[in-house]
Amino acid sequence: MNIKQKVPVTILTGFLGSGKTTLLNRILSEEHGKRIAVIENEYGEIGIDQGLVINADEEVFEMSNGCICCTVRGDLIRVLGNLMKRRDKFDYVLVETTGLADPGPVAQTFFMDDEIRDEFALDGIVTLVDAAHIDQQLVHSNESSEQVAFADVLVLNKTDLISDESLDTLEARLRNMNRMARVIRSKQAEVSIDNVLNLNAFDLDQVLKRRPTFLEPEYPFEWTGVYPLEPGRYELSLEDGPDPTMSLIVVTDQDTSETALNTGAESCVRLYAESPELLHPGNTLPLGKHVSLQLQSQGRKSFFLEINKSQNIGLFTQHTAEEFDIKVIKEDTSVADDIINNQRDLVISPKVERIWVAEHEHDDEVGSIAIERLGDVDPEKLNRWLSQLLSEKGVDIFRTKGFISYAGESNRMVFQGVHMLFTAQPDKEWGDEPRRNQLVFIGRNLDEEEMCREFEKCLV
Amino acid sequence: MSGVEVFSPQGMLHKSWTAQVDDYAITCGWVLHGKAFLVGDVAGGLYSFEAKSGNSLWQQKEVHHGGLLAMSIHPDGETFATAGQDGHVLIWNSGDGSSSKVLELGTGWVEHLKWSPDGLFLAVAFSRRVYLFGIDGQEHWRSNEHPSTISSIAWSRSNELATACYGRVTFYDVATKQVKQKLEWQGSLVSMVLSPDGDVVACGSQDNSVHFWRRSTNQDSEMTGYPGKPSQLAFDQTGTVLATGGGEVITVWSFLGNGPEGTVPGQLSLHTKSISSLAFSNLGMLLASGDRNGSIFVWFIRKDGQGDPLGAAFVDDLVGAIAWRPDDSALATVNAKGGVNLWDFKMRTKSSAKGFS
Repeated sequence: MNIKQKVPVTILTGFLGSGKTTLLNRILSEEHGKRIAVIENEYGEIGIDQGLVINADEEVFEMSNGCICCTVRGDLIRVLGNLMKRRDKFDYVLVETTGLADPGPVAQTFFMDDEIRDEFALDGIVTLVDAAHIDQQLVHSNESSEQVAFADVLVLNKTDLISDESLDTLEARLRNMNRMARVIRSKQAEVSIDNVLNLNAFDLDQVLKRRPTFLEPEYPFEWTGVYPLEPGRYELSLEDGPDPTMSLIVVTDQDTSETALNTGAESCVRLYAESPELLHPGNTLPLGKHVSLQLQSQGRKSFFLEINKSQNIGLFTQHTAEEFDIKVIKEDTSVADDIINNQRDLVISPKVERIWVAEHEHDDEVGSIAIERLGDVDPEKLNRWLSQLLSEKGVDIFRTKGFISYAGESNRMVFQGVHMLFTAQPDKEWGDEPRRNQLVFIGRNLDEEEMCREFEKCLV
Repeated sequence: MSGVEVFSPQGMLHKSWTAQVDDYAITCGWVLHGKAFLVGDVAGGLYSFEAKSGNSLWQQKEVHHGGLLAMSIHPDGETFATAGQDGHVLIWNSGDGSSSKVLELGTGWVEHLKWSPDGLFLAVAFSRRVYLFGIDGQEHWRSNEHPSTISSIAWSRSNELATACYGRVTFYDVATKQVKQKLEWQGSLVSMVLSPDGDVVACGSQDNSVHFWRRSTNQDSEMTGYPGKPSQLAFDQTGTVLATGGGEVITVWSFLGNGPEGTVPGQLSLHTKSISSLAFSNLGMLLASGDRNGSIFVWFIRKDGQGDPLGAAFVDDLVGAIAWRPDDSALATVNAKGGVNLWDFKMRTKSSAKGFS
């Protein structure tokens, strides 16, 4: 029998425009002696010049039991299941996710599927951050903060686009959210390979706990309508609505498939992060720009759209079309001489509409808690507390790492966790070192005081 | 069945011939009425061996750029089809290994294909759609997009095709090109088999369970407690028992009476690694099983799902596929090292016909 080494897998996440593909190409072109298989999301930014690239359509599979830690990525199971039969062709796997991907199911795939677990080992999660846009992305998107929270390495990219001072503030913010990750600064994703591959950041068996449903992704806009428009001038009319202003982005060439809508949404999340141009009734709407419609006046308000080629136009609006009775109307130049055309025929119906789950207000709900105490803990008490903590808060705890001094145990115990998948293993002997404990939790809305108090109760 | 007594396992599998293919063998089957044995490897190699001698009849290399993913042999055994990572389906002549048709589905993997029982159609799953082609390679029909990538396809009869994907099984009437029935359940269905009468649908699920539906009564149930994903499922040809993998133990559910709900399944436990392949004989209640280690067992299964081993063999690496010769006189396996092994199979009982009737 030959003893097979598990193939290490690195997950590469980050928002659209953060530089994932640049980093990927850099890794692939460098002389590192590894044969890397790349699993790229279907809408990769640019082509990758390498042999073994497999495109996968991100498919998140939730289980009937509603357990979030059982949620896996079906596409990865399929692709890796076939790749494992071609182990002579590669010795490393890189998984690139779309910007809107939740890293949880990706990571869990490597622990929850028995066949994948036997052949592959998650090595680490690398998250690229666009230094110029991450502040706003963190405000507008849960995925962005979860990608920061899950990371073992945070590559703070495009540092040349902001001042050193802002960079320091940003790094402090990110470190506060995820105190376990190494932060590396880069301009054009020029990162040493050693900093992203072979990290051995995971060392996890699995512990299974059940938990309730998961949050849906949140967006800074509530509605999308895709309109098939011929060249010409159009009126966007709005009636009185619930707010005196409304943000909007007009997206050109918006396809109507589910994936295209998600891709459009992703780029709009990014555009929404930019400060809007204020538009008043009668103004023309710029394409692909974040605008804020000023709707203070009473009654119907009109804005205009100039379309120069036949295409699908996507409106990503802060409120639903219904709330303002939004209409897209073709300006008909022939109306004067052709009375048969009436107004109703000129109202364009959207081909596709989509309601998005709007975001909640938050100010870095995601953060790290580090508990450090000297002394020994009672394994039973600790176990009881952690079990309870993870079953109640596992949804909101993304990553856990730590080491513990068990009373009466000569070796240090090491902890690892993703959501409520959790493992403890004996590590090196304590020897002469002072016996102490360190536990780091990264999660959403964690109560630091209470967790410290509960941990202290576990001390001997 | 009580009259059946079998000899000790030794001697039931008589080693016949072995052969070697270039890469990890993932699929195999008998063609030309059991006169030739066909093997496909992951790199896209196809090999035909003479059934008696194991001599090579023909071979083809790298028939699919990127690799081979699936093979289906036409019911008449004269023709077969392969699918691969290049998004192509190829139709082949079993006799000389010449390719007669290339069907290009697009960019992406073609992972599943099956000939209809009457041999008129080839069903091909490509991403979220299933396509039907005639034997001439003409597209007859394609389905709408499924909610996720199709994970399995099966024919319940010559004019009815089933697909499985995340969350549902769909039955299509091939004549009217309409959806006939949808069976929904929130779970990732990774494998599917249908009972020979087409009434029972069994799916292995990502959450380590097997889900059953009875189409006639609309009843469904879930069998949980598997240590792994039950990707391997096999009905015997009478539809009495369903053998399932999903761990080292083979779990056999019996559909006698009101079963399998509320009954205790047969548990066949001799394998020491997870089951990687299961195949029932063409007649009778003989089950061949292979595991990730390379162990192979042949079992005699009773109608209540209990079973006894008849023979064993070892092929050194993960058993990729097992195929009984059409007359059940031989058993062939292929493994992850490209090893091809053939055994003559003899079952001697005091009343020899009974084991097969």
